[in-house]
Amino acid sequence: MLNPLHHLRLLPRDSRDTLFMLLVIAWVVLPQVSHLPLWCSLLSGAVMLWRGWLAVTLRPLPSRWWLWLLLVLTVGATLFTHKTLLGRDAGLTLIVVLLALKTLELRARRDAFVVFFLSFFMMLSNFFFSQSLLTAGAMLIALLGLLTALVNAHMPVGKPPLLQAARIAGSMTLLGAPIMVLLFLLFPRLAPLWGVPSDAMSGRSGLSATMQVGNIASLALDDSIAMRIRFEGAPPRQSDLYFRGPVLSSFDGRSWQPLRSGLPAQLRPLPHLQVQGAPVNYQVTLEPNQRPWLLLLDATPNAPLLTGFEARMTPELQWLVERPITDLLRYTARSYPDFSHGPLRPVAGLQDYLELPIGFNPRTLQLAAEMRRDPRYAADDGTQLIAAVLQRLRSGGYVYTLEPGVYGRDSADEFWFDRKEGFCEHIASSFVILLRALKLPARVVTGYQGGEQNPVDGFWTVRQSDAHAWAEVWLNGRGWVRVDPTAAVAPGRVGSLQRLQAPRGVITEALLGNVSPALALNLRAVWDAVNNRWNQSVLNYTQRTQLNLLKDLGFESPSWEDLIYLLIGIVVLASLGGAAWTLWERLRQDPWLRLLAQAAKRLQKAGVQLAPNSPPRRMAEQLSAQLGPEHPAAQRIGDWLLRLEALRYAPPAAQHSRLPALQREFKRLHWPT
Amino acid sequence: MSVAPSLPHPLLRPMAHVRAQFQRWWQARLPLTDIFTLTQRNVYILPTRPGLMLGVTLLVLLVASINYQLNLGYLLTFLLAGCSLVAMQVCHATLRGLTMHLIAPYPVFTGATAIIGINLENRRQSTRFGIGLALLGSDHWSWTDVPAQANATVHVAFKPERRGLHRVPALTAETHFPLGTFRVWTVWRPAAQVLVYPAPEPHAPALPLGEPRAGDAAAAPGPGSGDYDGIRAYRRGDPLKLVVWKKAARANELVSRDTQQVQRHELWLEPQKTGLSQPEQQLSRLCAWVLQAEQQGLDYGLRLGGLEIKPAHGEAQKRRCLQALALC
Repeated sequence: MLNPLHHLRLLPRDSRDTLFMLLVIAWVVLPQVSHLPLWCSLLSGAVMLWRGWLAVTLRPLPSRWWLWLLLVLTVGATLFTHKTLLGRDAGLTLIVVLLALKTLELRARRDAFVVFFLSFFMMLSNFFFSQSLLTAGAMLIALLGLLTALVNAHMPVGKPPLLQAARIAGSMTLLGAPIMVLLFLLFPRLAPLWGVPSDAMSGRSGLSATMQVGNIASLALDDSIAMRIRFEGAPPRQSDLYFRGPVLSSFDGRSWQPLRSGLPAQLRPLPHLQVQGAPVNYQVTLEPNQRPWLLLLDATPNAPLLTGFEARMTPELQWLVERPITDLLRYTARSYPDFSHGPLRPVAGLQDYLELPIGFNPRTLQLAAEMRRDPRYAADDGTQLIAAVLQRLRSGGYVYTLEPGVYGRDSADEFWFDRKEGFCEHIASSFVILLRALKLPARVVTGYQGGEQNPVDGFWTVRQSDAHAWAEVWLNGRGWVRVDPTAAVAPGRVGSLQRLQAPRGVITEALLGNVSPALALNLRAVWDAVNNRWNQSVLNYTQRTQLNLLKDLGFESPSWEDLIYLLIGIVVLASLGGAAWTLWERLRQDPWLRLLAQAAKRLQKAGVQLAPNSPPRRMAEQLSAQLGPEHPAAQRIGDWLLRLEALRYAPPAAQHSRLPALQREFKRLHWPT
Repeated sequence: MSVAPSLPHPLLRPMAHVRAQFQRWWQARLPLTDIFTLTQRNVYILPTRPGLMLGVTLLVLLVASINYQLNLGYLLTFLLAGCSLVAMQVCHATLRGLTMHLIAPYPVFTGATAIIGINLENRRQSTRFGIGLALLGSDHWSWTDVPAQANATVHVAFKPERRGLHRVPALTAETHFPLGTFRVWTVWRPAAQVLVYPAPEPHAPALPLGEPRAGDAAAAPGPGSGDYDGIRAYRRGDPLKLVVWKKAARANELVSRDTQQVQRHELWLEPQKTGLSQPEQQLSRLCAWVLQAEQQGLDYGLRLGGLEIKPAHGEAQKRRCLQALALC
């Protein structure tokens, strides 16, 4: 029985090349699998396995009828899945299918090219989903693989080792990298040429515009970064780090939604934002969230500084921009942790925050009625009731957990009386329902809470797992007041560095299982810092950074035309350099010949008759004939000339290393005059 | 000559006509040389169809990166563009600096294939991959790699149509290495010439009879009465009466008497003796006879117009005669 690796090595060149191509295609497609319909992944995998088997067993390719049949089937299936053949998702599915089917007719070089070009579109479509450092690394490997396959296809002689093609592809990429850097820095960044199709925005994680029970649970397990913050001066206390997202005020029994008021907009209460105390200045680098939401600390009275967008504040203090944020966005803001807002006296519109759906959560309503009847709270303005509810949360055996299970129809009843466990969203939802039943206007606020400082570069990182939901209650004379009921259930969740650890995946467990937690934390800090560098310098490279670069280079008031001029200037300079190098290469003389010519010149000066193009041995003979064989100078020079001759026939490496010694000796010799 | 086909009709296919004329003019400008060093001046480069496709791909990638504001997309696009530029340079450098030496071709008979050997000399420190050579205008490529600081030999075949001294047709060297996005090629007109003998007649009749040696004719005894010097192995064409049958029966092989008789007659090959009227057919038969006489080990001479080659025998005589036949 042959060793399988040995068997692979014995495969004919065609089969080996095909297998390599399949490997590269699989590498390109693999990161997309989670975004593809299941049938597409399975079909492509099966087709490519089939092709690999045909290559290994040296069987003929299937007939064209098979291909046509599969093509018609897959186009039909794409149409059925996506209801269209256009757009990003359908296009992606089609490209993957075409790529897989094309491998079944990898006959000519033309087919290899088709695979090559389709793969580039695949690689680009990867970037719709992630532009992280990892993706960049994976795609760099894919690019190297594709180039290797192409280089290999253009080595028509024999069976060249793949490693050789890979080395050539690698050196080409290395040489191409400076061109990439130059173009990346100087190619003018333009606004989108036409509207971006809306389907490019779907399918990414982030805060949601509505809140259903269990919705944030999936976010809490998502460790990806939501934003990075650099505070100028000391950062505020961890417990003050509330980044405000959508405010949810309408409840229909199942989900919380933004306020749907019966009142016309102009009659609704105004924000009445009052700030005091010392401000916090900071810069946010927001990962694309595909929503028009800017996440800012509570409370930000003035619009943050940002380019390309117009920011405005809603009456509920959330900051919005006019279109979804599809790219890394950086902005600076000034916030005041000490603030108050909302009407101080009861006004029309506050009753919107008391509405509860009829027929839901009867036991909660009953609990509220009992508390209202309690004589202790008869004269209460609400603070004592809130304190009582928080006390209940604290001492009633309520547990914070990420896995509370599926809640039924009356989610608040189940939370307060049956399960007594949940995470911020269950707690906030049940809390607000109870307060509304107590006739206290209340609403749910979502956003991020907390974050951690990276010790490596000092940036604060806020992750999707920091997504949070809390409550705001309106109190007569004080306006809206933030109450975080989760803090009552799990004090560790709010205001501490302790982050809830998501369960590790199998692979992470295997990789990090034996690593000490401190080391793991350090590794993660370094990794985050590297990622942040990547985000700040590569992904956040915008027109403004570009123009700043020009300013640093000495342009007075740079515009994008200057970028073009600079680019053209560099191209002209590079061409001139190339021309000069070619000229130099043409004029360059062999160092050995140059040394010989110098020696001939010296001898001729001394009156030795030399024929043109005399070899060193001939020169030595002439010299000794002229000066006599016993002459010491003739002997030494003759000896040197013979060694020079011997060097000409030495291996190239020796020629390189020993020539300088002869050159030095040439200067020390006493030449006759 | 076979390398210069007739031009397309100027009215029916004007573009093709102009093109062919341009190519003819262009080729006529090229120097004739047997050692051809490739430099910037004689190496040409143009993108191939996949190369243009790559350009379109780059454009689409760029537009997609702009539209979706993907900075990583920009990186990918520009890296690919950089690699393509480097590939262009690498492709050109594959031929640039190469020296091609023509190995003098052997003479051939009309209708046979002439093999041209070309020695490729690489002085560079790195291998030159995927260099193809072919006759200009043909599609039969011979591919080779030339190792670093070494030589490689390629053979290209061509079929001369007519006898005579032909110039080796124009050759072209081409490479698509490394990405196939560019075609780099050169056109080379070698100075060497290849001698093409007439095609030997396939089933030529037997050799004509010899003539009595001039000045010796009176003394010469009649055929069949010569002194026998001994015996030798049978050669094709020996008269049956020369065969020593007794010896043949014993030795199991044919043996002929070696006689001075043949030597007293001189074998002269002449167009008149062929009995043919067409000059080319005459040459063809004479060619066959030269080969036949040489094979039989006879001395033979050739009279061709004013030219006379004295009877002799051996490789040199054969070449002399064939050359005379080729060039007359």
